[in-house]
Amino acid sequence: MSETKKSMGKISISYNAIATIAFQSALESYGVVGLATENIARGISNLFTKTPISGVVVQYDGDIINIDLYIIVEYGTRIASVTQSVANNVKFNVEKMVGIPVNEVNVHVRGLRVSDTD
Amino acid sequence: MADVQSNPQSVEQVKYEPLYSIDGQSLKHAFFAALIWLRNHQQVVNSLNVFPVPDGDTGTNMFLTMQSAYSEISESSETSAGKIAHMISQGALMGARGNSGVILSQLLRGFARLLDDKPVLDADLLVEALGESRNTAYKGVVRPVEGTILTVAKDMAKAAEETRAESNDIIYILDKTLKAGEESLKNTPNLLPILKQAGVVDSGGKGLVVIVEGIYRYATHQTVEIGEVAAERAPVSLESLQMSQMHEEIEPGQDFEIVVDFKPVGELNLQSFYGDLEKIGTSIQVGEGDDLYRMHIHVPTEKKYDPIELVEKYGAVQKVYIENLMEQMKGKSGEEDFSNPVEEGQIAVVAISPGDGISRIFKSLGVSRIVSGGQTMNPSTNDIFQAYKDMPTDKVIILPNNKNIIMAAEASKKLSDKQVEIIPTKNIPQGLSACLRLNPQGDMKEIVAEMNESLDEVEAGEITTATRSIELNGVNVKEGEVIALLNGNLVSSSKSIVKACAELLKKSGIKDREHVTIFYGSDTTQAQIDEVTGYIAKTYPDHEVEVHEGGQPHYQFILSIE
Repeated sequence: MSETKKSMGKISISYNAIATIAFQSALESYGVVGLATENIARGISNLFTKTPISGVVVQYDGDIINIDLYIIVEYGTRIASVTQSVANNVKFNVEKMVGIPVNEVNVHVRGLRVSDTD
Repeated sequence: MADVQSNPQSVEQVKYEPLYSIDGQSLKHAFFAALIWLRNHQQVVNSLNVFPVPDGDTGTNMFLTMQSAYSEISESSETSAGKIAHMISQGALMGARGNSGVILSQLLRGFARLLDDKPVLDADLLVEALGESRNTAYKGVVRPVEGTILTVAKDMAKAAEETRAESNDIIYILDKTLKAGEESLKNTPNLLPILKQAGVVDSGGKGLVVIVEGIYRYATHQTVEIGEVAAERAPVSLESLQMSQMHEEIEPGQDFEIVVDFKPVGELNLQSFYGDLEKIGTSIQVGEGDDLYRMHIHVPTEKKYDPIELVEKYGAVQKVYIENLMEQMKGKSGEEDFSNPVEEGQIAVVAISPGDGISRIFKSLGVSRIVSGGQTMNPSTNDIFQAYKDMPTDKVIILPNNKNIIMAAEASKKLSDKQVEIIPTKNIPQGLSACLRLNPQGDMKEIVAEMNESLDEVEAGEITTATRSIELNGVNVKEGEVIALLNGNLVSSSKSIVKACAELLKKSGIKDREHVTIFYGSDTTQAQIDEVTGYIAKTYPDHEVEVHEGGQPHYQFILSIE
């Protein structure tokens, strides 16, 4: 749980909220066609949640956020650029919406989706 | 391709003859026109970025992607449009940079796939290919954000489809497509709130419109400054175009080199021709060929079109070639050697640096190679890899010095079989701080650990001008204001540089620190430097203050607080 002291009281933001923002911005990033579950246990626990957020792991440590993303990339796009964009996008959106600096966004490419072969 | 001719039979001025097919070589020239047109508009596109930091991404990224695509075809004499399109697609994929670059490469990929190995591109194929471009681009994302380059591509493809019943003329289709693109671009702020907030249209969409416009200009021969004329004169590769030979030293104020080939009407009166040229420029040369003349001249920026107009009085212009000499000089002067010799078995450090001053400091701290780059120009994985791949040592430490470059540095590791360690330095102060731990003969593991530890020992401040109004991190930024970033986070926006520095220092943990080092940028004036150093000396009299030339673009000051 991440907490910020404000003059009126305490605001706390859950990991899940941050993960949701990261998840949504990852899916809006160009070249990312899906997120992959980072491990089997998570995959199963996700089956029971209403809004599955697979492929995003948020770590909150002190006053910085670290995010790990496990993504599927569209075949035929330059992976180096796609991963960089998704990291930028997620960092930008999380920082904008939550107001806490994101220290690291680690992007793990779990696979490629082939829509068209050239 | 049709010649420029006015048609006397038509009352309305016909600017071009219809164009029904494009072969491989025409496609290559059209693509080159688009590349150059984009290059000329690169800064315009960059200025549309919605992040408040001038990080010049989109235009530059799209241009570099196009450049990589063009380098695949620059020397090709392939006549099949389909094959040229495939080469373009391949080159764009390899060189795709940034989000917009990746989308552009997907658009080109769809285009090429539909063309398959067709020898020529006709109206039907063009329209279908534009549709396939759109489809391919949309496949690359789960949740397409509308109001971006994707929307513009979609609207263009739709407009092209609507022309099918109307004409088989490619120029007509391009015209409609381009107009639809411009309309769509204007509408992007209505679809994407962040654009409206910042008061701009989408930068990637703008880039795409510029590219199509470049092609349209080529097709309709509207190419005074760039495009087809330049394309035909273009040297074999783009590198050689950009670094084209310098003729003589440049006189101050004579920024452009213009070369015009022309056929004189009747006998050319050389004396009056020379006389007229001398009124507008210097370094005049006139060459004579087979009933063709070539004129060479250097002129100031504001007169760059005058020689062309002048030549038109004497005859028919065949080809025009314009080059910005001052830009080239800048490129040349950047070639100062910042490298240190590397010996076998020692630890070599590669640092990414945004400016000459900072490069010099890195060199003095024992950095072996400098890769230039920073906020405006992220070096590619390959740029970084090239810097160390031939070193006689297999122990390499990379200091990216920018959060956007860390990933490229990491990626370069996979290309190399050396032992490569990346210290995730996000700014120059961290990079310098890490450098102080360097001992080339030391133990790699220990040094890497020490460098990593050093990152927290320094706070980095950056002062720059906001390129647009935006609200971020709870700070209200107005375009043109000076903004301060502490360790990469926006902390204040104010009217003056001194105020921004004051806010920055206040928010940094300066009380617990002893030393402030200031690096001033390439555009920073002496008065600004005096003002800021004066302020710091007065407000924090117990702190040591050092001032260095940083030479970085965009950032008036980088502050290292340790």
